[in-house]
Amino acid sequence: MKEIDARGLSCPAPVLHTKATLEQEHPDTIKVLVDNAASQQNVERFLRSQGFEVRLEKEGHDFAVIGKCGSPGAAVEPKAAPVATGANQKIMVMCATDRIGFGDETLGQKLMVNFIRTLKEMGPELWRLVLVNNGVKLAVAGSPVLAELKAYEATGTSVLVCGTCLEHFNLLAQKQVGQTTNMLDIVTAMQLADKVVNL
Amino acid sequence: MGLERADDAGVYRISDELALIQTVDFFTPIVDDPYWFGQIAAANALSDVYAMGGVPKTAMNLVAFPIKQMDLDILRQIIQGGIDKIREADAVLVGGHSIEDSELKYGLSVTGFVHPARVLVKKNLRAGDRLILTKPLGTGIINTAIKAAMAPPALIDRVTRLMANLNRGAAEAMAAFAVHACTDVTGFGLLGHLAEMVTGSGCSVRIESRQVPILPETVDFASMGLVPGGAFKNKSFRQAMTIFADGVDAVMQDMLFDPQTSGGLLISIASQHAEALAEALTRRGTPAAAVIGEVLDDPIEKIYVS
Repeated sequence: MKEIDARGLSCPAPVLHTKATLEQEHPDTIKVLVDNAASQQNVERFLRSQGFEVRLEKEGHDFAVIGKCGSPGAAVEPKAAPVATGANQKIMVMCATDRIGFGDETLGQKLMVNFIRTLKEMGPELWRLVLVNNGVKLAVAGSPVLAELKAYEATGTSVLVCGTCLEHFNLLAQKQVGQTTNMLDIVTAMQLADKVVNL
Repeated sequence: MGLERADDAGVYRISDELALIQTVDFFTPIVDDPYWFGQIAAANALSDVYAMGGVPKTAMNLVAFPIKQMDLDILRQIIQGGIDKIREADAVLVGGHSIEDSELKYGLSVTGFVHPARVLVKKNLRAGDRLILTKPLGTGIINTAIKAAMAPPALIDRVTRLMANLNRGAAEAMAAFAVHACTDVTGFGLLGHLAEMVTGSGCSVRIESRQVPILPETVDFASMGLVPGGAFKNKSFRQAMTIFADGVDAVMQDMLFDPQTSGGLLISIASQHAEALAEALTRRGTPAAAVIGEVLDDPIEKIYVS
């Protein structure tokens, strides 16, 4: 087992030492000794984010954070970009309409309701749901999917609703769910997302 | 204003029409680029005047510089950044003082004007008020990620500009409204500065964590343990008065206590004016204009976070 003594160091130094050790030596198990609660929490979080199982041991006044690699022998790839929490990828779904497809309006609306309901099958990978243009009508009073959108928000998906669009349709006061957003936020989200689905 | 009512800056009344606001702030570099560091340090110092409802008028440089180890051109760039920010605030640089020091430090002493009846203090929350924040949180955690060499250049650029963003637009938008209380969010983090507003107010507050604007990358970095020690200190200092609902996880708690550099204004305003103020802030292009919570008629002086 690889051991790191990070006592006497303050955040973020213990995490940086741990990160450097993982990248250089790829240990299967690692023990990081820290002397304060902040470092303990940060090292614990870091190891979990890198796929380690973590347990804590108290050693006198110090804490030992012990990480065991989920798949033994597997090298840990150094990560340049931050990893998503609890999900393998971040999917952004952008709806610029309140119905799916052209032709029959009633069918299109029904399909959209079904689509919003079924989106939950993406699980925690559903990262952001962005509503623009006619799509904002899904988030206002009278929409058949308000309960679904609220449920998505409650489970950690951000629902972003275009402010300019709400204003255009004079629906600002009718919005029932989601955060009002702007184009900069939308563009930034597109850049950060692993996958963008457009509807 | 006495020390027992410590506020963002000192206020001295000259006449019935005019009071002086005086403040000073300086720190060590938080970004590598000297010009941007100068801008950020100046924006941070000027912010205290804005938080008190005032208009900055004059500024003086405070410089500590390791002249033997560092090229003087670095200092020139820092001061140029400060001057450009002072100019953006329509204030003037009237002097300054420098000393030799092993560690570089820069900041400003700023004097501003305010009408004595329009001084904004921290401790004037009123039950029913809404709380508005004008910049997203996350600069402490992202600066930690920068130290860890884990922040991509585009993010460094974005957070640098955010820290250098002057709170002038927010202050000017706020001036048209009957605001009850205001402070700026810096080293104690959002909840730390909110705790200062709540203590002695006879009110409690409720913060809706999902409504708090946070730089999106902050969540990922905080989940990886890139949380500055200051966030933990802020949290343990205010633990007794902060009550987190079950759904507010440790990562969110850390973000709400994340120490900010040159953060936004935190404004308390009567609920019927809150939406109009948020719109006015948005029109002025403030980095955020989010209603994040409300003031409760609850004399136990707690912060409820849901």
